[in-house]
Amino acid sequence: MSDLSVVGASVRRSDMRAKVTGAAQYAGDVRLPGMLHAKMKRCAVAHARIARIDVSKAKALPGVKAVLTHHDVPRVLHFGSPHPRSASLAKDQYILDDKVRYWGEGVAAVAATSEEIAEEALDLIEVEYEPLPAAITLDQAMAPGAPRIHDVAPKGNHVIEPVRVVRGDVAKGFAEADVVIEGVYEMGRPTPAYMEPNVCLCQWDVEGKLTVWISTQTAFMVRGILAEVLGLPLNKVRVICDHMGGGFGAKQDLFQTEFLCALLARETRRPVRLEFTRKETFLGGRSRHPCRVWLKQGFKKDGTITARQAKAVYNSGAYASHGPGVTSVGTFALTSLYRCDNVLLEGECIYTNAPIAGAFRGYGVTQTYYALDIQMDEAAERLGMDPAELKLKNAVREGDLSPSGHPIVGHGLEDCVKHGVQLVSWKDLRNRKKGSGIKRRGWGMGCEMHGSSAYPGIKEQGNAIVKLNEDGTATLFTGTAGLGTGAHTALAQIVAEELGFTFEQVSVVHGDTDVVPWDIGAFASHTTYMGGKAAQLAAAEAKKQLLERAGDRLEVSPKDLEVKDGVIAVRGVPAKSMTVREAMLPTRGQPSPHIVATGTYTPTKSYSFAAHFVEVEVDTETGQIEVLQVIPVHELGRIIHPVAAAGQIEGGIQQGIGHTLTEDYMIDEKTGRSLNPSFVDYKMPLSMDMPPIRTVMLETAPDPGGPFGAKGVGEDPIIAVGPAIANAVYDAIGVRFRHYPITPEQVLQALSAK
Amino acid sequence: MKRAVSFIVNGERLELELDPFRSLLDALRNEAGLTGTKKGCDVGDCGACTVILNGKPVNSCLVLGVEAQDARIETVEGLQAADGALHPLQENFLKLGGAQCGFCTPGFLMMAKALLDENPHPTEEEIRFGIAGNICRCTGYTRIVEAIQAAAKEMRRE
Repeated sequence: MSDLSVVGASVRRSDMRAKVTGAAQYAGDVRLPGMLHAKMKRCAVAHARIARIDVSKAKALPGVKAVLTHHDVPRVLHFGSPHPRSASLAKDQYILDDKVRYWGEGVAAVAATSEEIAEEALDLIEVEYEPLPAAITLDQAMAPGAPRIHDVAPKGNHVIEPVRVVRGDVAKGFAEADVVIEGVYEMGRPTPAYMEPNVCLCQWDVEGKLTVWISTQTAFMVRGILAEVLGLPLNKVRVICDHMGGGFGAKQDLFQTEFLCALLARETRRPVRLEFTRKETFLGGRSRHPCRVWLKQGFKKDGTITARQAKAVYNSGAYASHGPGVTSVGTFALTSLYRCDNVLLEGECIYTNAPIAGAFRGYGVTQTYYALDIQMDEAAERLGMDPAELKLKNAVREGDLSPSGHPIVGHGLEDCVKHGVQLVSWKDLRNRKKGSGIKRRGWGMGCEMHGSSAYPGIKEQGNAIVKLNEDGTATLFTGTAGLGTGAHTALAQIVAEELGFTFEQVSVVHGDTDVVPWDIGAFASHTTYMGGKAAQLAAAEAKKQLLERAGDRLEVSPKDLEVKDGVIAVRGVPAKSMTVREAMLPTRGQPSPHIVATGTYTPTKSYSFAAHFVEVEVDTETGQIEVLQVIPVHELGRIIHPVAAAGQIEGGIQQGIGHTLTEDYMIDEKTGRSLNPSFVDYKMPLSMDMPPIRTVMLETAPDPGGPFGAKGVGEDPIIAVGPAIANAVYDAIGVRFRHYPITPEQVLQALSAK
Repeated sequence: MKRAVSFIVNGERLELELDPFRSLLDALRNEAGLTGTKKGCDVGDCGACTVILNGKPVNSCLVLGVEAQDARIETVEGLQAADGALHPLQENFLKLGGAQCGFCTPGFLMMAKALLDENPHPTEEEIRFGIAGNICRCTGYTRIVEAIQAAAKEMRRE
């Protein structure tokens, strides 16, 4: 049983009162006096050189204050996603280029006194394009003689040199196999579809300092790249993001508009605001990487995996963004989940004249584990084994080498599978008589593991400052963003727990790069794990200083003291005590020296695990697949806030059901034109579509690298649910789908071909 | 030409000068300074801008400001009691995890209020149908439904 009092409790989230009353300020809610409105002109061609661009008519429109094209902006080659290191290996973007590489890319921007005037001005900008041959799909971009999309590419349309992972001897492994299974798996193009459209507001002060209000997961990365491209020192760029309306990975990038907004504000000497329309969040946003995985595995009769060979090809779209990181993480993930000594894995990342793919919950692993976990289901059938039994036999365990090269802590995957199998009576479900009616039901399972933090791809760092106030309360300063997960609440819980304070005694300051310590950003399921550990370290240091002071006043050794609910007492002698407030009081009228402690944490990696159990019903007349229930079992090390943690799991399942069954951002294969950039045509699960979810969270494999053993949870759920659905569909109707989304038309075609 | 428009928002009469093409959503957010109501799509697809207009929930992005002449409008800013106490819907969304990023939350709260005003005893099915025009991308909806059920129960007791 937990001996913790604040950690593990679903306390009232610190961001929630503002959110339910409408008081929460999002970047799009900020209004400044004299503010102008900006809009970006986007091209309607997949690949072209801009032969001529004429903005004279637009500039002449009353109310237009400035127009920028590639002739007017600094030409600095930069990363699309500005992580300091290897997740963004490819520098391939300009603010505006004389070339466009996808349908919808920005070619000019206008600032005007109203949004309507800015929009009108866009139509007055004349652009003459010299079309270039385009490669919209992976096949087109990889064909011999394909048009080259970037001069900076290492070869052809490769974003990076292929990723290659070799362990053991794969030829020997296949030679030892009794059964070899091979398949090609094809994954579509879901988008994060966060509810808050991208928005930024830029203002320069008279000293030449730029302030940016923006919806971003990575305020310090935005600061860094704006400073780099605009040629400013870091103390002349301030980035503010209080509340944000979701990001799911994609809001780590810059979207051309941030630079343009800043430059328009500089030119007009007025604040400039630019907000995407919903359509623009599709056109100029970031999707998950469409991906093709060829996967081959060898098995012994008893289920032991003897070899695994794979080639994963990721479609990066027109720019690199997170392509290199996604390719690497997704490819390396295939070394694990199920033990295998002999692996040969290749990952390729390919430019196409399609919308940019970026970071999105699951980060490359959603794709490769979809392939892996469907193939495990195929293998179980061929071997005459139960899928759960086959997965348990091969599940990674304590001490196994993880994709990051670290030993796995605990038996998390095994625990999830065993727990779920028992909970749903898996054996009975799988052995029951199959229906033969119009609507047929089936059960499937999907497994996953996912790292908290982006190590070793990115060497990350979290920082925190804990300040003790003279009334005995504490303030945490954290650089991490609040995407909506409840991260700041979790961090405050961790600080309260470490200090021995109540939750109410700790408040959190965040969201202003001029105030809070540097943080790499909120992504890679690492906020609680990394930011939380930094906060814990800062709190521990503050507590040490506090106890030294209390020890002096109580005339005991600090190590004999403990703090609970804001009271410092001698261990075993509760009568000898003082409140934290008393310890912080002035002595003889002299204010006590302040207590400010910092914590810096450079994490390696821990892994969370999950097994999802899904029941579907397939209508053999309409082809409709309905998910009837999901039982997700997650191993999280230590749960800080149960309601928030379960919320991550359930929301991830919603998005996972979406990309498996309905969500696909479609691009015309001839023109590169966007075909469904709206919430009517891009189909996400709504309230009527979502099944009951019975969430189970385990704490069986706490990781000492995280605060109180906690690990990440944000990305895990979206990975496991997809293969669980595909496997359940197979159980229901005996048709094996090796792609997503699985549409009703495809179900009907497959049934009629059967 | 701007036109003078007057309507009552959360019990307070507002006098605004609006372009005839200005949506009620933009009028509330930009002219009245009530930014609690959110713009998620501006074309009536997502429900983030839901407000209650003369007792009925509407997508305020699809209503022109000038159409709201003399209307009674309720927005998320008017949900809490005068003493600051949260409405049962707000309290239960907060407590039960009905909100995460919070961007869709004002729209859900207003849609749920309209639903409960009309039907104090909704079944789960009726709740799910009632909020079918509101998109949430964070929660998976289950906790939103539970929060509305819990609020309905409390409101019946009051």
